[in-house]
Amino acid sequence: MPPTASLDAGPAGDLPLAGEAKGKRTPAATTLNWQRESARAYGLGLAPALVVLAAITLLPLITLVVVSLTPLSLTDPAATFHFGQPTGNYAQLLQDQRFLDSLWVQAKLSSVGVLLQLLVGLGLALLLHGESRLLAGLRTFFLIPMVLPPIVVALVWKIIYTPDISPLHALLEQWGWPVRSLIANPDTALWAIVAADVWQWFPFTMLMVLAQLQMVPRDPVDAARIDGANRWQVFVYIVLPYLQRTLVVCALFRLIDSFKAFPLLYVLTNGGPGTVTEVTNFYGFIQAFNFSYWGYGSAIAVVMLAIIFVLSALVSRLGKNRGDAHAR
Amino acid sequence: MTRTTYHYEGGLLVPRRKLLVSALAAGAGSVLGFPALALDSKPLKGVTLNTSLYSSPYSKLLRPWIPEFEEATGAKVNFDTPGFPVYNQRADLELSTKGAAFDAVNVTFIYSSRWINSGWLTPLDGYINDPNKTPASFDVNDFLEGALAPERGRDGQLYGIPWQAEVTIAAASRFDVLKQSGLAFPDTTDAWLEAAKLLNRKERAAGFVTDNHYGWTFIPFLQAFGGDVFRKAPDDLFPTLDSPEAIAAADYFARLLREYGPDGVVSYTSDQAVQSLKAGRSHLSVQGQINLSQLADKSSSKVAASAAWGQVPKGVAGRFPGTAIHGWGIPVGSKNKDAAWQFIRWATSKETLQRAVAAGYGSPTRRSDIDSPTYRERQRVNGYDIASLVTASVDLSAKQGHMKYRTVAAYPQVDQQINKAIELIVTGQRTPEQAMKQAQTASIAELRRAGVSV
Repeated sequence: MPPTASLDAGPAGDLPLAGEAKGKRTPAATTLNWQRESARAYGLGLAPALVVLAAITLLPLITLVVVSLTPLSLTDPAATFHFGQPTGNYAQLLQDQRFLDSLWVQAKLSSVGVLLQLLVGLGLALLLHGESRLLAGLRTFFLIPMVLPPIVVALVWKIIYTPDISPLHALLEQWGWPVRSLIANPDTALWAIVAADVWQWFPFTMLMVLAQLQMVPRDPVDAARIDGANRWQVFVYIVLPYLQRTLVVCALFRLIDSFKAFPLLYVLTNGGPGTVTEVTNFYGFIQAFNFSYWGYGSAIAVVMLAIIFVLSALVSRLGKNRGDAHAR
Repeated sequence: MTRTTYHYEGGLLVPRRKLLVSALAAGAGSVLGFPALALDSKPLKGVTLNTSLYSSPYSKLLRPWIPEFEEATGAKVNFDTPGFPVYNQRADLELSTKGAAFDAVNVTFIYSSRWINSGWLTPLDGYINDPNKTPASFDVNDFLEGALAPERGRDGQLYGIPWQAEVTIAAASRFDVLKQSGLAFPDTTDAWLEAAKLLNRKERAAGFVTDNHYGWTFIPFLQAFGGDVFRKAPDDLFPTLDSPEAIAAADYFARLLREYGPDGVVSYTSDQAVQSLKAGRSHLSVQGQINLSQLADKSSSKVAASAAWGQVPKGVAGRFPGTAIHGWGIPVGSKNKDAAWQFIRWATSKETLQRAVAAGYGSPTRRSDIDSPTYRERQRVNGYDIASLVTASVDLSAKQGHMKYRTVAAYPQVDQQINKAIELIVTGQRTPEQAMKQAQTASIAELRRAGVSV
């Protein structure tokens, strides 16, 4: 925040300025001058950070958009800056059934995955909210999946989902409920990935909700209880409104992250069987890295970016409205 | 294991043993016909070589020996060995930008045509034919012709020195069970089906397993049925995935996997497939010999005593073993090409490769190694000569030219269509006809996008 003239004038404010010596400067003009100076100093101080920020965020973004307007393929360097058909990649995307299918797969993975992460995270946070060593230990225990590297999580689930070495499959078989491979079955492969994704990321919601639960004031809760509200009513009418913004933030973060789901898909199913688990991100990866179609891959990334922006705006708006309503 | 000490001689790296013998014989001034001997010179001092090769048995053997090269030359070698897909993506990107990040790289078989013919690699003939850079003892003609062929560009020049010749072979983990059932090692596609059916669930093991890179493991069956990927690669790249032969082959192969494969077989990577065989959880397989020769490893394989090996099954059109050659090449953007060549020459020299073979390396590319008693002895397991299977397969591939489909620049795109098609059939999402027709249409579209006129 820029320093104000009145605060920063200090002893200097008492010194006669050039204009004042001639009797032409008013106190208002002096204040304005200070404001201008401080704004300039603020701008100059901020400039290096802005330049770095632009270099590391804006430039790649601009490059991505520019490349998406070309047919750039690594095996055809001549096409690098060929802008003859700037919307060619986008037009082709609309005709690309595999891309359109990948959007649908993405929608299923993101919506169900994020919803489950919110529900499981919220549920466990409510159960683990309290003061005891056991609960503290459990809270730490449940954080483990989130801090594991994604590739490790993927390998763990690969073992769990591979019937001949899986402890889960062995256990189910022992109980008389043998289950066929979940990741090799087109009907269950996506949901197997969702389960692994939820396992890894529900602790994020749990952690955020636990933090927010610490801040819920006791007075309204106590008042409600005195008025005869049961646990469910206290939760729905008192606690939940306090958690809504936190849940929206969690949903937003996880929604954005769900578009970046990669290690699980790569290790568990490689987009298969067929293309049933091929999400948009994975399809873009194949186009860019396996086939070297960088222009096309960039166009997919730009479309994903646009979708994420729209979804983020919608989710943020939802949180704002709910939050405002609660404030009223 | 013998430790070889290397020294520089007139700019050439030679083993100390050879150097001393030659020095005694010819005097210090003219050893092996090369310029003056400089025992303590470190001609590459101050040079940092960035090299990259995907993680493999060869790279694991080479890594501990690199300090010897550094000691002899003064060069510092950064040796990067990521996993296969990661390596390929990184190298593809780096080579395409003609960057200087790497001085020596693996020329991956599936990308060799693309990388070589796009002008991303340095021709090596100039280095090989220059006696000041390469001693006669390097003997490029010692490499299998079938291994050198994919490393040549359209201009006939060599762009890679092969270090690995992998071929697809067949194996039975529990041949004893097969023998008890009165069957010999299956040699034809019909016999394979019969054996897989008979063995399935016997000893609680699946009848057949293979890894889910079907653009590699399915092709020997496709060609055995009389089908192929393209009409006539590399001249006519019109795909032929919807031919009656291709559909029949896909049906047959998918049946092997669906009916006789372990549960979830479409998600099996090569490592998983090998583990399944080594643990005795699967009976039969067709895969690369690097994978299947591991069944003989007594320290990790439960089936070392009962495993048997053979050539890939023969079909109505013949036998078509897959071959994959990997070699060392120099990126066109490298700033240390001469030094990189010295490194490659050392890494693929007779001495280094002999040493690798002595340490258990199973995919040599030099005829002298393949014919060596050390290799022959090591590759003879349970009465089976895996080395002979390998050479026979490489020679057959060179003679028939059936692997030309694989070094087509746009093969990665078609390869993926084949993978998807087989997955779709095995999981019952499409009939063989539907899946292969879909793969055909998608492949044509991909080839057109890649600029191939079909």
